[in-house]
Amino acid sequence: MDMTNDKFKNIFIQGAIPPDFISQSLKKHSTKTDIGAHSIFLGQVRSDTIDGKIVSEIEYTAYEEMALSKMHEIREEIFKKYPLICMHIYHSLGLVRSGEISLFVFTSSKHRKSAIAACEEIVERIKAELPIWGKEKMEDNSQQWKINS
Amino acid sequence: MQVEVITFGLIADITGKKTFQMQAHDLDELKSLLLVKFPDLQDKHYAIAVNREFVTGNVEFPDHAEVALLPPFSGG
Repeated sequence: MDMTNDKFKNIFIQGAIPPDFISQSLKKHSTKTDIGAHSIFLGQVRSDTIDGKIVSEIEYTAYEEMALSKMHEIREEIFKKYPLICMHIYHSLGLVRSGEISLFVFTSSKHRKSAIAACEEIVERIKAELPIWGKEKMEDNSQQWKINS
Repeated sequence: MQVEVITFGLIADITGKKTFQMQAHDLDELKSLLLVKFPDLQDKHYAIAVNREFVTGNVEFPDHAEVALLPPFSGG
């Protein structure tokens, strides 16, 4: 994976996040035996119907340097707030087809409550605070900028 | 003062280019120049970041400022 910025951990993956990547990531934690709970969020591109047109894929762009710096802040704050052992975050850039994964948030802790709460808070903050944009591409080749609900 | 303007999403569609140079001393001046150049920005919502930090209200630009126009985010 390319590091777009030396200072902050990269979260971006070109294209969809493969299911194998997710299982490999899970596998890597089997040696960390102080972990008692994982919480995983996977965002999947949905084929919404908008004005009778079906979304076939989303093209993601980001203000990468700012997104990574903001993600670094969020990461630090979440680690301070919850007793987490691990936190891993990946977001797609470029084209992701409907049915594919574009966001992967993975938190681990001794006990379930902190892993679940931290995971949820990270997802909400990513959607609200990271400068990332999705352009919905329709089956008839028209397109429009996605609006987060 | 020369600033580097960088745009994204819907705003980049309106300006037609992702990055360009403008001359302005502060944000208020830049905003009015942008509206003259790109009247379609008038009714659009966007946040502004100067050197990757969000700003609200007017700010004077430091040397070589990078000013980003950021429409509502839609990641995830």
